[in-house]
Amino acid sequence: MTLRVLLVEDDRELCRTLKDAMTAEGYEMFTAASLSESFALLTGLGSRPTSGGAPVDLVLLDLGLPDGDGEQLLAALRQKHTVPLIVISARESDGQKVRLLDAGADDYLVKPFSIRELLARMRVGLRHRGTSVAPAVTRYAVGELAIDLGTRDVMLAGKPVHLTPTEFNLLARLVRSAGQVVTHRQLLMDVWGAEFTEHTHYLRLYMAQLRGKLEENPADPQLLMNEPGVGYRIVESQG
Amino acid sequence: MTWLPGIDASADFWPARLRQAWLVVREASMSGTVAPMRDDAAHPSRRPARWPWAWACAVWAVAWLLMLGLDRHIGLAQAAVTLVLASALAAIWLPLVASLATTTLAVFAFDWFVVPPRHSFSVELSEDVLLLAEILLLSWVVTALLARGRVLATRARRSASHADQMRRLGDALREAEDPLRRGQALCQALDDLLGEAPRLLLLRDATTLPADDRASTTLGAPSADDLVGMWHCVRLCQQFGPGTGHEPELPALYLPLRGTEGAAYGAAMIAANPRDMTTPDVLVQAQALCDQMGQLLHRARTQRQAESAHAHAQGQTVRNALLAAISHDYRTPLAAIMGAASSLRDQGDKLTSGQRERLAGSIVAETRQLSRLTDNTLQLVRLDAPGVKLHLDWESPDELAGAAIDRARKHDPDRRIKVWAEPGLPLVRCDAVLFSQMLENLIDNALKYSDSPAPVELSVRRHGEHVVFAVRDSGPGVEPAWREKIFEVFQRGDWRSGSSNSAAQRGAGVGLAVCRAIALAHGGDLKLRPRSHGGSSFECWLREEEAPRVDARDSTLDGASS
Repeated sequence: MTLRVLLVEDDRELCRTLKDAMTAEGYEMFTAASLSESFALLTGLGSRPTSGGAPVDLVLLDLGLPDGDGEQLLAALRQKHTVPLIVISARESDGQKVRLLDAGADDYLVKPFSIRELLARMRVGLRHRGTSVAPAVTRYAVGELAIDLGTRDVMLAGKPVHLTPTEFNLLARLVRSAGQVVTHRQLLMDVWGAEFTEHTHYLRLYMAQLRGKLEENPADPQLLMNEPGVGYRIVESQG
Repeated sequence: MTWLPGIDASADFWPARLRQAWLVVREASMSGTVAPMRDDAAHPSRRPARWPWAWACAVWAVAWLLMLGLDRHIGLAQAAVTLVLASALAAIWLPLVASLATTTLAVFAFDWFVVPPRHSFSVELSEDVLLLAEILLLSWVVTALLARGRVLATRARRSASHADQMRRLGDALREAEDPLRRGQALCQALDDLLGEAPRLLLLRDATTLPADDRASTTLGAPSADDLVGMWHCVRLCQQFGPGTGHEPELPALYLPLRGTEGAAYGAAMIAANPRDMTTPDVLVQAQALCDQMGQLLHRARTQRQAESAHAHAQGQTVRNALLAAISHDYRTPLAAIMGAASSLRDQGDKLTSGQRERLAGSIVAETRQLSRLTDNTLQLVRLDAPGVKLHLDWESPDELAGAAIDRARKHDPDRRIKVWAEPGLPLVRCDAVLFSQMLENLIDNALKYSDSPAPVELSVRRHGEHVVFAVRDSGPGVEPAWREKIFEVFQRGDWRSGSSNSAAQRGAGVGLAVCRAIALAHGGDLKLRPRSHGGSSFECWLREEEAPRVDARDSTLDGASS
C-alpha cells in the first residue's frame, strides 16, 4: 500500500517540483495551495487504517498560506491525529521553530532545502509514526554505542559506561526521538520538570557530561548533535 | 529709539543739536541723581552719593558763611567767584532744574545781601548789573555742562552694563543645553533689568501651532490669558504694551523672541512698571535680550534641520552602497546557476551523465551560496536596526563549535575541518543562532580563501577573562592595509580594484561584515590576526560571564568527569 502524503504549499513552482520528486519516490501525493483546500481534502479522503485513522500518512506544511497560517492546520490535526507533520518554511526565526516543535510538529525544514534532506526527514517521521503503534523502542545502537532502555545498560565498545540517573534520563529522552530534534524546553520538562523549562544551563552541563562520556571528541560530536537555538538530536539508530 | 549716535559727532547741525540738548535736559531732569536705574543696581560701586540735597545745602551754607562772614575783608569780585564756585559744586549733586533754580535764587540773594546798595534789589553801579548777569549766566552754563556730563556718564555706564548683560546672557545660553534652562537664563536677565520676573513661552519651531504642547515650553507659570497674549505676540512678531507704541494701555509688556526672517520663537510677558518703560534704552535692552534667545532658538532649529538632512543623505548613501554590494554578490551565483541550468535544458542530450551531474551539483552549490548571502543580508539589516534584541541564553562553546563544524562538513564534505576546544570551558552568554551563523560564515570564508589540502581549524580557548573562538586557514592571508577594511561591507569596490591580493579580490562581501556585527552585538569583538606561517586567524573575543549555579541534584554530578 503506497503511503499518502499531503503537501500544503502555495508556491506553484515548488509544489510541482516536490510533487514530481515524491511521486518518483513512490509516494501518493495530494497537494493543497491553501488552508481551506487542505481542510477540504482531509475531510474528503476519509480515514485510513495504516495511519491510525488519519486520512494521510504524512503532512508537509508550509506556514505562509493565502488564507491563514499553517499553524492553524497543525493545531487542528493534532487534536485528532498523531500523523507525522513536517513544517517547511522560509521563516527562519528560531523562536517560531521551537514553538512549532513544541506544538506538535515532528520536524521543520527551512527553505531552500535539498530533496535528499526532505526525503530523509520524511523517512524519520514515518518510522516514528510506526513506533507509536508498535511497542516503544527500547534498544538503540549506533557505531560502538549500544543502549538498552529497558535494562538501563549503556555500552561503549563493549564496555559499560556509568551514567548518573539524570544523564541517563536525558539520553533516554533523546533516544526515544532518535533522529528528531527535541527542543530545550521539551528536554527540560521531561527530564527535570516543568519548573525547570528556563534553566537551559542545566542542559548544557549535562549534555557536556554525556558527550564527555560517549563522544570521542566532545567538540566534534558524531552522536549528540546540537541544533543552535532549538534543541538536541541524537543520530538515528542503525540497529 | 536707540542709543543716541554721538552727540559731538553731529554737532554741525544746529536743530539736531538743540534737540539733543533738550533730550539731555529732559533726561537729566528726570533721572538726575534721584532714582538710580535698576540696571545700575548691578554695580553698587558706581551708585551716586547719598544725601545729594544735604551735600548741596552744605555747600551753599559754607559759601554764604564765607561771603557774609568775610564781607568786610573781600571785594565784590571775590564774593562773586565764591558764588559761582558754590553753584558749580552744588550742581554736582542737584538735578538740573533744582540746580538752575537754586543758582537763580542765589544770584538774587547776592544782589540783596552783597551788591550795594544792600538790602535792596536795586543796583548802584551799572557794571554791577553786568556782573550779576554774568554770574547768573556763568552759573547756568556750568550747571548745564555738569548735568550733561553726568547724563553722558550714566548713559555710558548703562550701555556698558547692557553690553555686559548681553554677554552674560550669551554665555549662559551657550552653556545650557536644554531650552528650559536657557529660558531660565533669559528670565534671570530680564529680572535683573526690569526688577520683575517675566513669563516665557518658548517654541521649538517658529511655525508651531498653539495646540502642540510638546513643541512649546512655558516658564513662570503663565495663566491661560497670558498665553493667549503671548501667542498673539508670537504670531504678529511684534511688541505690545506700555512704551512700545502698540496698545500701551495693556497692563503688561509683551516682547517677541525674534529669530531671523521675521519669525518669533516665543514671547516674554512682563508685568511692567510703566515708569521703567519710559526710561530710554530699557525697552530696547529687553527686546535685545529676547532677540538673543530667539536667534538661539532659530539657530537650533536650523541646525536640527541640517542634521536631519545630513542623516537622511547619509542613510541614503549607506543604503545605496549596501544595495550595490549585495546586487554584486548575487550576480555571481546567479550567473553560475543560469549557465548550468540553461546548459542542462538546451544540451542535456549531448552531455554525458557525469557532466550533467556536475552541472546539477553546481546549481545546488550556488543556490546554497545565494541562500547564505540572503541570510547574511537579512541579519545585517536586522542587527543594524535600532533596538535589536538578541535571544541570549547560556550556551556551551564546544557545542557551538561542534554545530558549526557539522554544518560546514555537510556543505563541503571533501574538505578537512578540524575542531579543538580547551577542556573545562565556561558557558558563554550568547544568541546561539546568530553565533552559529558567525562561526559558519568564518569557516565558509576560510574554506573559500585557502586551498584544498590545507585544513581549516576552529579552536575555542580561554584567554584571560575572554573565551576566544578562532577560525584559522593557511591561505595567502590579507594585506596589512586591508585587515580592518575587510570587515566593511562598503569597502568592496575599492578593495577589488586596488588590491593585488587574490584572496581579497574574490571578496568576503556581506559575510565578514555580518560576523563583526554579530560579535559587536554580543559585546565582543572580531579581529583578524595574521598567522606566523601564512594564513589568517579570525578571532571572536567574548567576555566571560559568571554562569548561574546548578543545583547538584545528581549525587555523582561532580564526579562525572572522573
